[in-house]
Amino acid sequence: MKILVPFKRVADPENANKVKVPVGANGLGPKIETTGMEFKPNPFDEYAVEAALRLTENGTAPKARLGEVTVVTVGGPEADQTLRGALATGADKAVRVEATDEQLDGAIIARALAKVVAQVGPDLVLLGKQTVDTDSAQTGPMLAELLGWPQVTFAVQITNEGNGSLLVTRNGDGGVQKVRVKLPAVVTVEDRVSYSGGVTSPPTPATHKYADGVRFAPLPAIMQAKKKPLEVKKLADLGVDTALSVKYLGFEPPPARKAGVKVKTVAELVDKLKNEAKAI
Amino acid sequence: MSQDLAQNRYKADLRDIRFLVFEQFKLQDVLGKGPYEAWGVEEFNMVMGEAHRFAVEVLGPLNAIGDRQGCRLENGQVFAPAGFKETWGKIYEGGWKTLGVKTEWDGQQAPLTLAVVVEEFMSGANTAFMMYPGLAHGAAEVIETFGTHAQKERYLRKMYHGTWGGTMCLTEPQAGSDVGAARTVAKKRPDGLYDIKGTKLFISGGDHDFAENIVHLVLARVEGAPAGTKGLSLFTVPKRRIDMATGASGELNDVTVAGIEHKMGINGSSTCLLNFGENDGCVGELVGDAENHGMPQMFKMMNGARIGVGLQGLAVASTAYLNALEYAKERRQGPSIRFWKDATAPRVAIAEHADVRRMLLDMKSRVEGIRALIIKLARHQDGYLVAKGNDEAAATYHLGQVDLLVPLVKAYGSDQSFRICETAIQTYGGVGYTKDYPVEQYCRDSKIFSIYEGTNHIQAMDLVGRKLGQNGGANLQSFLGDVQKFISENDAHPVLGPWVKELAVAHEAIGGTAMRLLGWFQMGQMSMVPLAANRFLEMMSETAIGWLLLEGARIAIDTQAKLPEGDAGAKDRAYYEGKKAAAKYFALNVLPAVKLKAEILAREDTSPVDLPLESFVSE
Repeated sequence: MKILVPFKRVADPENANKVKVPVGANGLGPKIETTGMEFKPNPFDEYAVEAALRLTENGTAPKARLGEVTVVTVGGPEADQTLRGALATGADKAVRVEATDEQLDGAIIARALAKVVAQVGPDLVLLGKQTVDTDSAQTGPMLAELLGWPQVTFAVQITNEGNGSLLVTRNGDGGVQKVRVKLPAVVTVEDRVSYSGGVTSPPTPATHKYADGVRFAPLPAIMQAKKKPLEVKKLADLGVDTALSVKYLGFEPPPARKAGVKVKTVAELVDKLKNEAKAI
Repeated sequence: MSQDLAQNRYKADLRDIRFLVFEQFKLQDVLGKGPYEAWGVEEFNMVMGEAHRFAVEVLGPLNAIGDRQGCRLENGQVFAPAGFKETWGKIYEGGWKTLGVKTEWDGQQAPLTLAVVVEEFMSGANTAFMMYPGLAHGAAEVIETFGTHAQKERYLRKMYHGTWGGTMCLTEPQAGSDVGAARTVAKKRPDGLYDIKGTKLFISGGDHDFAENIVHLVLARVEGAPAGTKGLSLFTVPKRRIDMATGASGELNDVTVAGIEHKMGINGSSTCLLNFGENDGCVGELVGDAENHGMPQMFKMMNGARIGVGLQGLAVASTAYLNALEYAKERRQGPSIRFWKDATAPRVAIAEHADVRRMLLDMKSRVEGIRALIIKLARHQDGYLVAKGNDEAAATYHLGQVDLLVPLVKAYGSDQSFRICETAIQTYGGVGYTKDYPVEQYCRDSKIFSIYEGTNHIQAMDLVGRKLGQNGGANLQSFLGDVQKFISENDAHPVLGPWVKELAVAHEAIGGTAMRLLGWFQMGQMSMVPLAANRFLEMMSETAIGWLLLEGARIAIDTQAKLPEGDAGAKDRAYYEGKKAAAKYFALNVLPAVKLKAEILAREDTSPVDLPLESFVSE
C-alpha cells in the first residue's frame, strides 16, 4: 500500500501561555508573534504516521517495509527537521512544498496536497484530524472533496481488510461508528489510533502487541534519514490557485481568566451555580 | 500523598546542554570532520531529542520501581526488577548503546560530546538500569582495544549490541583499592585457554536474565606470575561457554552467584559475589596474546569508566536540582520576609524565601559548572580524535587535557552529586525525606559514585601523583595557560571583571599549591601528599569550573546584547541571566575558598596521621 501523510510543524502547545500578540490598531494584532517559540510536529499527524507505518509492515519485523509511506508538508526549510523526524521513524520519502505562512490558508494547502496526491499516487491519505495550533480540522475533508475520494474523519481504529477496503472505527458525537471505506480514501485520525490495538493489518500477526503511542526512531535510522529522499517543490510550480480565501483581520489573545471566589457554605455554592453560572 | 511509582520524575535541562555544546564549546567545529563525517548539527539535535524522549518515557518510569523491588537471587540466577529485561531489549533495538561505537562494529561513531549528553539523560532517568549496558559496553571496549582479531570478531558485535552482557571483575574480598592483592588464579590448559578459580566481589551487573550470555572480564594471576599488580592478566570468562569455532553460547561455565549485596542505593543494579571454578569447570580466554598485562589494560580502560561515573553524578544531581526547583516554586509556606510581622500576610512559594533561593542557586551553579567541565572534557576528546593524524600538536594538547580532567570529573562530579542531592532534600523539607518524592532515592543512589571506579582519594592521588607531572608537566601548564588567557582577556570587563579577579586569585593558589606538592615529593615529605590530595583536587576542580562558568557568562553577556527586544527574546534573555548569575555566585561564594584551602595546606598540618589510633577513642 502507498500512503501519503500530510504533516505540519506547529508551535509547541506547551508554549501556549507564552504566545504573544503584538497590539495593533483597534486592539487587534496583525499577527501572532512566533519568534522565540518552540516548534514540534503536530501530534495528530504523528499518530497518522504511526498508523501509516503499521499499515505497511509486519509488526514483528518492522525494518522490512512492505509498502511506501510519503510524508508531505507545506512550509519553509525549518520544517525539514520535522520531515526528517518522520523519515527516521520509518517513512520512506518526504516532500516539502515551499511556501511561507502568509501565503497559505487551509484551502490552498488542500489544493496543493491534491496536486501532490496526483504526483505521488497513494492508495490512502492519512492525516491528523486537526492541527493543534489552529484547530480548524478542515484540511482532510477539503482534500477529500477536491480529490473526489471518500473520507472518514476522527478515526480511532483502522483495519486493513486486504481487499482494497478499510474498516474504520470513528469517534462520533453519540458513540463510535464503524465505516467500511473503499480505497483510495482520505482518513483523519485521533490519538487512539496509535494505541496498541489501533491498527490491524494482515502481515502483522494478530498475536503481536504494539506498544501504545508513537514509536521511537532508532538511532541508526536517525542517521539514515538524511539519505532518504526529501523533495522540495515550489507552491507556484504546482499550478494551484494561490488566491487566499481566508483573510486574517487581526488577532487577540483570549481574555485572562478572572479570579475565583471562595464560597462559605454549600447553600451559597448551590445558589451561585444556579443563579450566576446557571449550571444547574 | 503516595505517588504512582511508575511515573517518570526525571527532568533535564536541554537548553543548558545546547548552550554548552554549541555556544560555548562549539562542537560544530568538529562535526562533519574526520571520524565524525556523518554527523551534523541536525543529527545531533535529533538524536538528543529522541534520547531525551527515551529517557523520560522508557527509563524514568522504572526508576522508583527498580529501587523498591531491588534484585533477587533464585537458584543461582539473578532477576532484576520488573521491566528491566524489556528495557534492555528496547535500548539495544533503539541503537542507544552503540552511539559512540565505531562503524566497523556497526555503531554510529558519534562524538563523545553527544554520547555524554545522551548518557546524562539515561543515567539520570534510571541510574541502576544503566549500569548493566554500561558495564557491558566498558568490557567490550577493553576487548576492542587489547583483544586479538579473532577475539574482536568473537565478542564485539554481540557485546556492543546487547546479545551478550558484560562485567568488569577486579575486586576481591581482600583486594579492593589494593587490586594487586588479587588471588584469583589462572592455569593454562593444553588448548590455550585457562582454568579460572577465585572469588570476585561487588561485581555490578554480575548476573541478570537479559541476555543469552554474560562475558566477565576477570583479573587473575597466572600460576607462577609475580606478586602484586605486575603479575595480573585479564581474561574473558563467559557465564556460558562459547564455542570457539561458531561463537555460539553453550553449557554453563561454572560461574556461580554466591550472593547479591543489599545496598543503600542503585538497588535495581545487581551487585554480585561471583565464584569462578568452584567445581573446577571454569574456563577463560586471555585478552590479547601476552600474560601479565592485566593492569595496564584495565588502566587504559579507566578513563572511560571514570568519566562515566562523573557523568552519573552530574545526571542525578541535575534531576535532583530540577525537581527541587519545581517543588520550591509550587509549595507555599510562610509570608515574604517583608511582612514578617503580619500574621495575615499572604503565604508565598518557598522559592521566594532567601535561603531557599540560595540553595537553588547553589545547586544550579554547581550542576551547570560540573556539566560544563564534563562537556569540556568530551570536547577535548573529540578535538583529539579529529586532530589526530593531521595536527599532532593539537592532538597532544587535547589528549593531555582529557587525562588531566578525568580525575576532576570523576571525583568532584561524584562528591558534589551527593551534596547537591542532600541540598535538594533540604529544599523540599520533610517531604524530601520521604519516598513520595524522588530526591531521597537520588541521594542514596549517588553515594556510590564517590566510591566505585577508584575511590575519590584514588582519583586525587592519580591527579597529584601522575597527572600533574604527566608529559613533563605540560598538561598542567596548558590548563593553567588556558585559564590565564581567559583572565587576561576579561579581568577589566565592566561586568565580569570583579568575578574574574576571584578566578585569578584561585588560579594563583592552585599554581602555588602544585609547586608545594612537588616540593613535598622532592623533600620526601610523603605523608603530606595523601592528606593534601583530596583538597587539591577540589581546589583545581573549583578553579576549572569557575573558569568555565565565567566563560559561559561572557558568552551570555555578548549574546544577550544581540537578542531581539521584548517578548521575542524574553526566554533566551532569562536563560542568559541565569548563566550570568550562576557564574557570579560561584565566583563570589565558592572560588574565594580555593585560596583559603591553599593557605590551610601551607600550614602542613599532619595531625590526622600524628594522632595514635588509640587516641581516637580512649575506651
